[in-house]
Amino acid sequence: MLETVDLCVSYGAVKALSGMNLTVPRGEVTAVIGANGAGKSTLMRTLAGLVTPQSGQVLFNGRSIAGNKPEDIVRNGLALVPEGRSTIPELTVEENLRLGGLWRDRSDRGASKNLVFDLFPILGERASMRADTLSGGERQQLAIGRALMSDPKCLLLDEPSLGLAPLIVTQILELVSRLAAETNLAVLLVEQNAVTALRVATTGVVLNLGEVVKSGPAHEISSDEELRHAYLGY
Amino acid sequence: MTNFIDYLLGGFSNGAVIALMALALVLVWRSTRMVNFAQVGQAMFTTYVALTIQQETGNWLLALVVAVGAGAVLGVIVFFLVIRPVKNSDSTGAIIATFGVLIALQAGAGMIWGGDPQGFIPPVDNAGLEFAGRIWPISLYDILVLSVTAALVIGLTLLFTKTSLGLSMRASAFNPEVARLSGVRVNRMLISGWAIAGATGAIGGVLIAPVSTISPNSFDILLVFAFTAAVIGGLDSLIGAVTFGIGTGLVISLVSGYSDSGNAPIIALVLLALNLLLKPDGVFGHHGARSV
Repeated sequence: MLETVDLCVSYGAVKALSGMNLTVPRGEVTAVIGANGAGKSTLMRTLAGLVTPQSGQVLFNGRSIAGNKPEDIVRNGLALVPEGRSTIPELTVEENLRLGGLWRDRSDRGASKNLVFDLFPILGERASMRADTLSGGERQQLAIGRALMSDPKCLLLDEPSLGLAPLIVTQILELVSRLAAETNLAVLLVEQNAVTALRVATTGVVLNLGEVVKSGPAHEISSDEELRHAYLGY
Repeated sequence: MTNFIDYLLGGFSNGAVIALMALALVLVWRSTRMVNFAQVGQAMFTTYVALTIQQETGNWLLALVVAVGAGAVLGVIVFFLVIRPVKNSDSTGAIIATFGVLIALQAGAGMIWGGDPQGFIPPVDNAGLEFAGRIWPISLYDILVLSVTAALVIGLTLLFTKTSLGLSMRASAFNPEVARLSGVRVNRMLISGWAIAGATGAIGGVLIAPVSTISPNSFDILLVFAFTAAVIGGLDSLIGAVTFGIGTGLVISLVSGYSDSGNAPIIALVLLALNLLLKPDGVFGHHGARSV
């Protein structure tokens, strides 16, 4: 579904990703974990088209998309939920959602909206309220909901746990994980909070200083004590 | 007291035009986060275009429509020719460049239409209406100006709140990155902002021309008032621009009535300074909306 081949990204002299290889299959959650500065956000921003890689490839459905514009990438089915407050607080909940799929047919949009409201019923209840009246967890649901409005084939989640209570994060991620399995959606989750991420993921990838140190089944990674001490800090 | 009411009434249509110019400034601010000081120059230029059409055909409505189209096109031309090349390297430079555009437009208009003030014939009578045994300081033309302004404000409000284009433009203004990640072609929204601002300013220019006269510099003072209104309104608020545009018109009318019209710009600048001291985000602005 989504694949990177020898992906290298630098900011000036600083290498953020050096030769990253990654595969994100359909129907499951792939978690990339690692400490601050490991290159996780850079990876996500590169996949979404906000950053252009120095070398290497990003393949989406077998087509190279590195260097494409973000607005074209999302229209092709690769949607990013960026780190932090990625909703637009001045707009209502409904407008934030509508924004996610404006280029699509009205009927397709309606179907996506029903799906989002089924997944996150609170958004339906708060549809006409401004996004800045929502709690942190509701806002994260809104951000994911907006990305789903584009009818993605692959969903990128950048640090969804940031600033949220662990219980809420787990709830949201379990919903996303179920959605992935039910609708054959590919999900790439990037997290500093390794415990939660590995709980919902099928595959885990440990990133350190821009390089993959380990990848494999999520349960294997979470039970590898040496790895945990060295790179994940718990 | 009668004087007070007369002065107040007399300020409305002038205020409406200031509101339109302020709206144009706000529209550009929302799309590009910069003040376009050439806005009144663009309006002056398109008003000359309208004047020419009216002189040739005698059709005011046609003149207005052509001016609106010319305003939109001129807005896009200014954006592509000057703003985009400069803004990529230097945001302050782009704002200064708008002054350059203003001067160039004034010089160009002077070369094409000459520097002497010309009259613009209003489509309806501009004499004060007689009603209830006295003449009021409001004319049929003032009512036309107010109606056109009201229609435009309602139209813009509907555009921004009800249409996909409006939603895309607002999203691009509030958070361009999230907008792009949502599939919005932000660059196009930015160009739309300049086009709509140009058209709005053009309407303002055509509406004020019969009340003042038109010369290459005749709208300069309008910039002072419109800028004041836009800034006090919060620079990114349409409703703020309209409210304080009309408010500025009323203040000017009162100041001119009770003292001298030459004092009006000074009062406007005092109000601007007070606003920046006391409520730097503007009355309708979001916190931080004005910081670049």
